[in-house]
Amino acid sequence: MTDRPPAGLRRLLAWVLPAGPIRDGLLGDLDELYAEHARLGPIAGGLWYGRQVLSVLVHYRLRPLLRSGGPGEGAGMVDALGRDVRYSVRTLRRRPTYLVLTVLTLALGVGGTAAVYGIARALLFAPLPYAHEDEIGVFWKKTDWTHEEFSYIRGQVPGFRDVALYRFRDMTLREGDGPAEIVPVVTASTELFDVLGTAPLLGRGFRAGEDTEGAEPVVVLSHGLWQEMGANQSIVGTRLTFDGTSHTVVGVMPRGFWFPSPSVRAFLPEPLDPELQNWNSSLVGRVAPGHEVGEMTVPMAQLTALLDERFDYPAQWDKTVGARITPIRADLVGDMRPAVLATLGAMALILLIASANVTALMLGQLDARSAEFAVRLALGANRRWLVQHLVIEAVLIAATAGVLGGVLARGGFGLLGQTLPLGPWTELLRPDWTVSLTAMVIALAAALCVVLLPTISLWRGDLRHAMNSTRAGRPRLRLGGRVESGLVVAEVALAVLVATGAALLARSVASLYALDPGVRVAGVGVVDVYLGGVENGRTTVEELTRALAALPGVRTAAAAQMLPLRGGGYNMPLTIAGRPELEGASTEFRTVTPGYLETMGMALREGRTITQMDRPETEPVVVINEALARTYFPGVSPVGQLLGDDINRRSTRIVGVVADAAERQLTGEAQPVRYVAFAQLPWVEQQQSLVFRVAPSSDPVALLEAVRQRVAEVAPGVAVRETTTLSRVLDAAVGPARQVLVLLTILSGLALVLGAVGIYGVIAHFAARRRRELAIRIALGLPGARAIADLVGHGALLVVLGIGIGLAAALGATRVLSSLLYEVRAIDARAFALAGAALLLIGLIAAFVPARRAGTADPASILREE
Amino acid sequence: MTERAFLGEFEHLVLATALRVKDGYGAELMRELEERTGRQVQGGALYVTLDRLERKGYVISRMDSPDARRGGRPKRFVKVTSDGVRALAEHREMLLRVWQGIETTLEEA
Repeated sequence: MTDRPPAGLRRLLAWVLPAGPIRDGLLGDLDELYAEHARLGPIAGGLWYGRQVLSVLVHYRLRPLLRSGGPGEGAGMVDALGRDVRYSVRTLRRRPTYLVLTVLTLALGVGGTAAVYGIARALLFAPLPYAHEDEIGVFWKKTDWTHEEFSYIRGQVPGFRDVALYRFRDMTLREGDGPAEIVPVVTASTELFDVLGTAPLLGRGFRAGEDTEGAEPVVVLSHGLWQEMGANQSIVGTRLTFDGTSHTVVGVMPRGFWFPSPSVRAFLPEPLDPELQNWNSSLVGRVAPGHEVGEMTVPMAQLTALLDERFDYPAQWDKTVGARITPIRADLVGDMRPAVLATLGAMALILLIASANVTALMLGQLDARSAEFAVRLALGANRRWLVQHLVIEAVLIAATAGVLGGVLARGGFGLLGQTLPLGPWTELLRPDWTVSLTAMVIALAAALCVVLLPTISLWRGDLRHAMNSTRAGRPRLRLGGRVESGLVVAEVALAVLVATGAALLARSVASLYALDPGVRVAGVGVVDVYLGGVENGRTTVEELTRALAALPGVRTAAAAQMLPLRGGGYNMPLTIAGRPELEGASTEFRTVTPGYLETMGMALREGRTITQMDRPETEPVVVINEALARTYFPGVSPVGQLLGDDINRRSTRIVGVVADAAERQLTGEAQPVRYVAFAQLPWVEQQQSLVFRVAPSSDPVALLEAVRQRVAEVAPGVAVRETTTLSRVLDAAVGPARQVLVLLTILSGLALVLGAVGIYGVIAHFAARRRRELAIRIALGLPGARAIADLVGHGALLVVLGIGIGLAAALGATRVLSSLLYEVRAIDARAFALAGAALLLIGLIAAFVPARRAGTADPASILREE
Repeated sequence: MTERAFLGEFEHLVLATALRVKDGYGAELMRELEERTGRQVQGGALYVTLDRLERKGYVISRMDSPDARRGGRPKRFVKVTSDGVRALAEHREMLLRVWQGIETTLEEA
């Protein structure tokens, strides 16, 4: 039936109305009228019905709630709520500083917390996409599991109904004749989907026997990959090329399914070789009925006995020791838990401080307005109305802050996703409306907590008495004064703590960037390729470098098997003829094409670099770096010397020496490195990095897309894994310190702002409390400047106290950061001084603003007003 | 209630409409109100007003004749009491007094 109102709204309406005949009558009337409105279309009908629900909500629920006790009682149809809201809006607009401060403070706290909560929810609390999460466990990894071990225990693992072997790897994917791309995949034994208990969206999972050598190759696609390929319903049965082999698509997994990482795009059966002893796989299993993942000691003892019978493990790789089943949740997301929870905790703390700030600001306002309230009471308003007014005001502030916080949360969500070290998990983070909704809910909850203290203060304090005591010059509504000061000290301490951490990291990151990586980073573009599937890798790489060099805007282009700053590569044994004492020596080993050393901007110290003349048929040559020359040829020129016969059984002649580059990490001693000619090597690595240098004034990023296209044209079978620049490689080398620095800088900025707001609020309140006293003193001849100095001094006292506590805490706490620091000690006087000075300055400014207002006010008008 | 009850604007409209349609029920009143006033009427507002008018003794309502077209729900029929008629008359008197002598001004405008 189309002429029935939307079921959800109708249920909401039925729930809102008090049960009884009246409800039935109204529901019936609206059903009847809906049919008429729905004739204009379902949307018009729905909107009409929605408005009806809203009106019932207002008239039957909200109004009775707010009217009780208010001055509007008995005023008939006059809209009490609307009037009170309008009154609150008016009074708030008269106090723009207060409004902006409270809204901003709350919005910052709420937005940040909602963003972090959104991340925590997506990563830690959301159910995993498996049917029986509690029954799935991952096997211990003394070392990775082998095909041989799995084939042996397969089908007879005690305590498990199903166990699957899987591994995580990259494959090239080609659709028809299109360019190849790299996709992360899982290859697994056929039990995988039985273990995880997830049914495919389309088609089927694996069938028994598909994981044997020579079986028809099949693939199950992730939902994401299927979407990217056009979400064609009839994809099952079509063919795709993985790593050069044609595979039949047999299924598509549902949206939201992932294993063991959200980045995985496809699932393929792994051809099992019962003899294969390579370690590279993991085991995941679903426990048999009657067993629990946490209590598998007995079955695992049986399993290790079984393994012991067949395998003779060396002591350090003994799988029969330390057998353990890890619940799948802990295995998959366990690593991120501390980081995410710690961030959530820190953020919640900042939210608390923000709420405390708003409370302090509100108390200050109450004080400032107590005369107004007393007059209203005298005119017949009751306390209940005053409290209601406070609540409405708090809700208005919270709603505004919630909207703003929602916007901040959306932004913060993306930013946090990038700054937290989450890796592929970032894919699970999709900002949705719930993040903004969370912000609103938190804001309202915070507002209700915030309004509690002022309410108690209002309820307890006899306002008529307050008015009298004002006359006598005694401070009013004392509650909160000391609490406020304590809060500010704590805030400042926290701000100092966070700022100190940020300052330490900033100094550390600066000194990392100041290091000379030995290459000229600017102006170099990088294309990482994977040759998997091409027939002649050597000529392909040479063609590619030639093609790139010919592109307009490119000066030079070359290739290497591993770039500097990426944390390592091959390390090969080093022998030198006539130097038997060097046994066991080894150096870094890089294969490079002609022009590579020039493209990277490595300085030539002696001899020559590798050129086009170094062919397979000519004498093998090597270029070494200064560290190698220093270490193995001290005091003599190495050029012309021969290195051992490890490459293709032939000696290599040293033809040049280049300056040290940061071949492994950015930091630490320069390692001895050999650069050998790619053309002369008997093998070709599947992973190659193509590099190109552009003219000094231009940006390599602008060329990356053209380069990617050129690669696809010249060598369609080659997959481009990543296009980037050498500057970004350097950023990555600077590493987690840089990521955490961003996060800490944001947090310390937040803490500084909140600290300043807190100091402002407390000094403003303090000044308001002493207004009359100050006015009298100024009237009696106290210079205004003295009054200002007095108040600022009070603020400074709080700030200094806070800084002291914060620095003391920082002495202990910054040690946590020491693993991230480079050439800066965890206790660094400059960083500490910087953080302290920043806080003091901000604190003094924040105290000065209200102090100046109090000190320059006209005493006569204040005294008259009182 | 107080002797001289004051009718709010919407109360006045509802009461007058109820008198016009005689023994009408909720949806009928809403239709009639919308037609006469040219404004959209919210069910919640109407029912709350009817509740209040009933408390003041100006209308009485009874639930009757469930109807399949309305999902088997009964109708709330409303009848204006003699007190209600009197209140309307007083209200009208008051309005007329207020309007006395200014209608011409409105026509000129």
